Amino acid sequence: MRGTLAHLVRTLLCWACILLIVFPLLWMLLTSFKPEDEVFSVPVKLLPEEWTIEYYRILIEETAFPTYFLNSFVVSTATTLLVVAVATIGAYSIVRFSYRGRAFIASGILLSYLLPSVVLIIPLYMMMVEIGLANSLASLVLAYASFALPFALWLLRSFMAAIPEDLESAAMIDGASRLEAFVDVVLPQALPGIISTMLFTFILAWNEYLFALVLVNADAVRPLTTGVMTMLVSGFNIEWSLLMAASVLMSLPLIVILAFLQSYLVRGFGAGAVKG
Amino acid sequence: MASIELRGVRKRFGETEIVRGVDLTIPSGAFVSLLGPSGCGKTTLLRMLAGLERPTAGSVMIDGVPVDDVAPGARDVAMVFQSYALYPQMTVAQNIAYPLRKRGVPKAERAARVRDVAEMLRLDALLDRKPRQLSGGQQQRVALGRALVREPRIFLLDEPLSNLDASLRGHMRAELIELHRRIGRTMVYVTHDQLEAMTMSTHIAVIDKGVIQQFGTPLDVYRQPANRMVAQFIGTPAMSLLEAEIVAGPAGGSVRIGATPIGSAPPGAAPGPVVLGVRPEDVELAETGLAARVRLAEPIGHETIVQLDSPGGALTARLPAEFRSAPGDPLTVRLRAANIHLFDPASGLRIGPTAALAVPATAQPTTKEAQDLG
Repeated sequence: MRGTLAHLVRTLLCWACILLIVFPLLWMLLTSFKPEDEVFSVPVKLLPEEWTIEYYRILIEETAFPTYFLNSFVVSTATTLLVVAVATIGAYSIVRFSYRGRAFIASGILLSYLLPSVVLIIPLYMMMVEIGLANSLASLVLAYASFALPFALWLLRSFMAAIPEDLESAAMIDGASRLEAFVDVVLPQALPGIISTMLFTFILAWNEYLFALVLVNADAVRPLTTGVMTMLVSGFNIEWSLLMAASVLMSLPLIVILAFLQSYLVRGFGAGAVKG
Repeated sequence: MASIELRGVRKRFGETEIVRGVDLTIPSGAFVSLLGPSGCGKTTLLRMLAGLERPTAGSVMIDGVPVDDVAPGARDVAMVFQSYALYPQMTVAQNIAYPLRKRGVPKAERAARVRDVAEMLRLDALLDRKPRQLSGGQQQRVALGRALVREPRIFLLDEPLSNLDASLRGHMRAELIELHRRIGRTMVYVTHDQLEAMTMSTHIAVIDKGVIQQFGTPLDVYRQPANRMVAQFIGTPAMSLLEAEIVAGPAGGSVRIGATPIGSAPPGAAPGPVVLGVRPEDVELAETGLAARVRLAEPIGHETIVQLDSPGGALTARLPAEFRSAPGDPLTVRLRAANIHLFDPASGLRIGPTAALAVPATAQPTTKEAQDLG
């Protein structure tokens, strides 16, 4: 009897926590389907009395939302590819080769991550102006890559360090060059780490607001975060229904990506490489 | 088939020199064990043969051709790692086929050769499995298969049996001997297990402190150890080393422990203190001889291993299974004079005839050499 009661309490507690987290998301979703006049109606109702997809239509057909969405997608994808490419090779180099300054670089990377990003914004903006990249998607890609890289390197470094060197030695004796051994043996083993890094970088680039606000102020190259805010939120008025619809659409790609990659992540972790 | 020659090979990692001048000629088709305690440099030596490490000095030659600038994959050697190093994301078949794929062997031939090797190693039923779904013994056979499939000139094996349990190890030992007999390729086998080295090899190189202490057939190394290190490392239970003395006499020198005469000294041996080595099987009960006391008797069924205190120091004897005694019992033993070994107490070197190459057990690199390498 006591066991059942304890179980019940635990279950209720869990659901309470889940609701706490899920409720704002649920509210966002439901509000996006409510007509504007229902949003502030009292008493508060959870479900819309009249369901409408009008705001989604407005957002997609009458605003610059699709442009922002595409910009965000391009910036996030490019940042992710750049970061993963550099971090994979960089982490491998730090783990496998010994050269002068290796330890310094490794710890320097971590230190640079500790620098608050606010400090970097103005210098970064001036540099972008200098090299003619101000107000471009490329400036965002470079900025995001610069602060995703340190963490990505450290994440991948620990994955690479766990790969037994014997595997590469075996591949090289079997006739592979070092690069082939890297591709054939190291990359598949580091895949869970690479996927984690991709997720981390993509989410970071997708949600970033501060740098986007400073580095980009032309409507054609705004990403979603700043684009939606400047479009729908002004000092006098907030378009709540449109904002909620935009929020739902902004969350979708991340949900889809996570749903797909999660199984990959879990699968990769179970692999036992070497008996030892 | 290929011979291997090492000339003055040295390897240094930072401040420590792991391999300190190795000269070794391995004849074609031999099964050579590199035997030594852990940290003696045997694995480093093997990795230099494979091309995974570059000697800091000296040269490695295969079939008389220096291979120092040849990449591991181009040396036509195969290696079995202690960890097996199977590629985790590939199936057994893909693992075995990998070296062939890297050499551009056509797909059909690849499949046929993988099948042949799998059949030989009884892996046919496991070809579609991943390494983590295999037992230790099966993984070991896959690693062997990946080496075999290429038909390389030379096989390098780095403690391939050390991760297996005792019964499987005995079984695999027999299989490796059989394999070597069948394919007749040169094999270099690294181990710290003297039983493996003794039973499998045609030649043993005993290594300690980065130097080859002795190179010879298993029986040479057993019967005529070149120095104290080799004498104590080979054989279980280990050889006993006693304090003795060579005394000059009218008919040549004789060896004594205290006042007890043991046998005659080899011609030319200088009088003075020596270290006398005797294997447990060369100690027998006798009416007259060396007086000793029993410290511990360990009956192991077919015989009894008895630890004795003798005037020359601790002595181990292999006595018949029926032997019974209590600690402290007095005992008289005789050492078989023909089978005793004498070593110089200072250098550790064998006094008298030695079958093969011997180097001082205490070889140290000079400061000059260290500078030359740096």
